[in-house]
Amino acid sequence: MAVLAWVMMGLALWHFTIFLPDRFWGGIVGAFLAAIVGAVLVGMAISGFAVPGEDDTTILTAAEGAPGALLAMALVYAEGTRRERTRPGAHAA
Amino acid sequence: MSDRRRNGLILLLVLGLLVASVVVLLQKPTRLGLDLQGGVELVYQGKPTPQQPRVDAAALDRALEIMRDRVDQLGVAEPEIQRSGRDQIVVGLPDVKNAGRAQDQVGKTAQLFFYDWEPNVLGENAKPDPTNQQVTGGTAAGRVGALPYFEAVQLAAKRPPAVERDNSTTDQFYLVDDARKRVLRGPEDAVADLTSEQAAPPGSKVVKVNQGTVLVRAEKPDAREKKKAAVAPNRYYVINDDPALRGTDIRNPEQNFDQGPGSSGEPIVTFDFTDRGRRTWQNVTRAIAQRGAASQVPGTDPQTAYQHFAIVLDGELISVPYIDFQQNPDGIDGSNGAEISGGFTIQSAQDLANLLTTGALPIKLDLISQSQVSASLGKQALNQGLLASAIGFLVVVFFLLLFYRVLGLIAGAALVIYAVYFYALIELIPITLTLPSIAGLVLTIGVAADANIVIFERVKEEIRAGRSIAAGIATGYKRGLSAIIDANVVTLMTAFILFILATAGVKGFAFTLGIGTIVSLFTAVLATQAALSTMGRSRLISRPSALGAGEQRFRWRFDFMGASKWFFSMSGLILLIGALAIGGKGLSFGIDFESGTRITTNLDRPATEAQVRSVLAAEGYADAKIQRLQDPQLGRNVVQIRTANLQPAKVQDVRAALNQRFGVGNNFSNDSIGPTFGQTVASSAVVAIIASLLVISAYIALRFEWKYAVPVLIALMHDLLITSGVYSLVGREVTTSTVAALLTILGYSLYDTIIVFDRVRENVPRMPRAAFSQIVNRSMSEVLTRSLATSFCTVLPVLALLLFGGETLKDFAFALIVGIASGTYSSVFIASPVLTHWKERESVYTRRRRRIEKEHGGKVPAYAAVGAEAQEERRREAEEAQARNARGRRVTTSDEPEEISPQEFDDLVRDLHGDGAKTDGEPPEEEEVDAAAEPPAEEEVEAEPGKPPPAAAPAGPSSSTPKPKRDKSKRSSSTAAKRRGKRHGRRR
Repeated sequence: MAVLAWVMMGLALWHFTIFLPDRFWGGIVGAFLAAIVGAVLVGMAISGFAVPGEDDTTILTAAEGAPGALLAMALVYAEGTRRERTRPGAHAA
Repeated sequence: MSDRRRNGLILLLVLGLLVASVVVLLQKPTRLGLDLQGGVELVYQGKPTPQQPRVDAAALDRALEIMRDRVDQLGVAEPEIQRSGRDQIVVGLPDVKNAGRAQDQVGKTAQLFFYDWEPNVLGENAKPDPTNQQVTGGTAAGRVGALPYFEAVQLAAKRPPAVERDNSTTDQFYLVDDARKRVLRGPEDAVADLTSEQAAPPGSKVVKVNQGTVLVRAEKPDAREKKKAAVAPNRYYVINDDPALRGTDIRNPEQNFDQGPGSSGEPIVTFDFTDRGRRTWQNVTRAIAQRGAASQVPGTDPQTAYQHFAIVLDGELISVPYIDFQQNPDGIDGSNGAEISGGFTIQSAQDLANLLTTGALPIKLDLISQSQVSASLGKQALNQGLLASAIGFLVVVFFLLLFYRVLGLIAGAALVIYAVYFYALIELIPITLTLPSIAGLVLTIGVAADANIVIFERVKEEIRAGRSIAAGIATGYKRGLSAIIDANVVTLMTAFILFILATAGVKGFAFTLGIGTIVSLFTAVLATQAALSTMGRSRLISRPSALGAGEQRFRWRFDFMGASKWFFSMSGLILLIGALAIGGKGLSFGIDFESGTRITTNLDRPATEAQVRSVLAAEGYADAKIQRLQDPQLGRNVVQIRTANLQPAKVQDVRAALNQRFGVGNNFSNDSIGPTFGQTVASSAVVAIIASLLVISAYIALRFEWKYAVPVLIALMHDLLITSGVYSLVGREVTTSTVAALLTILGYSLYDTIIVFDRVRENVPRMPRAAFSQIVNRSMSEVLTRSLATSFCTVLPVLALLLFGGETLKDFAFALIVGIASGTYSSVFIASPVLTHWKERESVYTRRRRRIEKEHGGKVPAYAAVGAEAQEERRREAEEAQARNARGRRVTTSDEPEEISPQEFDDLVRDLHGDGAKTDGEPPEEEEVDAAAEPPAEEEVEAEPGKPPPAAAPAGPSSSTPKPKRDKSKRSSSTAAKRRGKRHGRRR
């Protein structure tokens, strides 16, 4: 249940990347993958690298997916920006 | 073959099949499932035995045959016994009221073993003690000397393993509480099975009894002893698992009566031996007799020295007779057979004889699910299902008539034909009609209508673009077909995966969905095309308005991509709320997943929850969840009880207790699901979802390009998660039906996305200078009406299921409605924007975007632009074309499919004159590549730099070019059109 909540949280936050310029590494799909993977990984890390069972999943557990998703998307964005800057003939969108 | 002859043949075939179907319907009865006619369903899981260490297909088949024989002996008409998955067997027994007896008879392993008693019974030190009557029971062997369960387990656990092929069991595990000296659970074949349903309580521990040692329950007290309560129940002997004979050594078992001199006249079971059995029997009884003679103390009663052999059936002592060494000093000759007596009733003796006749099952079978539906409940469910189907069918026909007029009439007739064919197939194959299969049937009504809508919208589009009615019909069908095939292939794939991987109940749904999809392709495409083409010249459809293809009053001109930010935000918010709901409330899993027993019944006398609880508490189920239901169709005073998983006998105990206190009505039904079954359902659902996603992605990647597959997957994920979130928010129970519905949502959501992406794919080569967002905007504006119409048409019958179906159908319908709404939304507002964002990163679209931004002051217009005059001219020309059609120029209008519309004609002329491609000083590298690969089209008439941004382009015919006429130039244009057909891509 916790994994489901984390994935949903990651997917939910990913939707708001549409407001940012598309500089993600891998584009909107790269951001999507980062959000999901980041949410699950950091969620698990916060839970001591274990998946909380159905009874142990709370609103807080779901919220634990948020920092991971945001962090991962920020990393992908930073990497995308770096690549864009270093590309020959780079052009800011 | 001419079109007319072809159409005639198709119509003749349709008619012939219709007559044949009616004949089938009149002659063949419908096979109803247990949920529609009442009965018992038992699901067993095979477990290995020492003789059959692997549960393979052959062992399951042998078990299946034996079970079939047993069911025949129960006298059940039309039983259904089939394999399910790798290791399960599903037994459906219509009209069986006593689930307990059915379970006893059908799934009992019936492993019969004969043991030499005294040398094998273990004493205090876990060693045989043949002379100790405290251990063997002496003259009361089988009843005296047995130990309490806990002590027996502890004693057995001291024995080392003694593995032999003829052992009756493998290692066995028990969960015990040392402090309270109680065996809490077991025996199980694996440690995990002990805790699969509930965690082990604190202070408990697992005890292992090695193979080679077995616990057998002492003989049951017979009726007279029961009354006297002289024998303590549930005591056990611990014996060496070294059987002398087994069930395979006997033959011809029969129920008889003890009729010898001085006999009791009680029911007994007699049998003969096989050759091997006879020899072994003689040897064993000789050894027992000789041992008895040797142990006799002179001067004492010889009876005290009699030795015994034990008959054990599935771990229970049936009888422990002695061998009279004086009468049989050389053992007993087995040629006259033998008998088993032991306090049988006639029924129990018959049952044992039947079990021995059919033989032992080659594997052990664990009952993992059991459900019982009363006949009246089944009838009610059937009526609700049929009512929902009929209403669903009628509203779809009504919608088609309202929206498409004459076309709707044809589609309605096709739906009627579809329903007749489909029902005939159900009876012919035959398919057992269950509630899930009714849901599948209703859904395929929507799918069949969807196919018609896709084509009709295309026909209307062609006619509005200036084609004659006959040509519009021909072209519409021709060009709409590939989208329908794509969409239906995906539905078929989903149905196939569901059928292969899902549990039994869902298989029916998948099968009807698959069959329905194939039949609907025939009726909705072939039959309607033949009918419409035949009618093409009739006065009935001489005017475009008769087909709903009059002047288009409303055209979508919405900046879908521009607004996608807000739609994304909305989805994000819904998912955020869903995630928090999943975290906070979780999902309410039904007993299908969580294991347990659900009893629903009406009571003769009213009862509060507390009163029902007091009855259940007396039975040991104080923690049961009790709910009063208001369901007039089930009767008055309806209660639903949920407890931990109960065996059928326990369910009958609960029923008897409720009956005694409140009177149980005729709508008693129960479901018991074991933990293994729940795990199977959950894991098969996950596998089915993953398999569907993989197959669907591969198909999209092949049919479109791989970049189209990723947004589709994201949209599917969006739909599934939103549906899960909604389930969590409303607290609705998640059942196997929900899982089936979720998987159907996958297929449906994709159906819708394919319709949109198909048009995007088609428009890409038509708009070689447009930004991808403009291509998508235009595609959306063209197909949104169609997409909404198909979704609405599918929702209608599903809504009928939700309003008029029974509980199971409502489960399906709720998930489907949420999924269809989410699927339609995600196709337009999630999948397409993701595709746009991703594709616009490609260099060709990046350059186009930069150019357009440069031309339009840093902004990209929502729609690719053409000059305002051209726009006006196109509109006027389209009106003229429609007016011509309305005047009925059918005598001179060609109905050849290859006739091109004025709009296409404009494109062709520009193409031939070579204008367009290089009119605006475009950087050569991109456009040259584009122009070489893709022909120029209407969007090439773009505003030149410096001119103000023009208005958006309509879909109507273009201006400033000659109108198409049926002369030489027309013919040459048609030829060019044929040439260009492949290059342009076709509208679908």
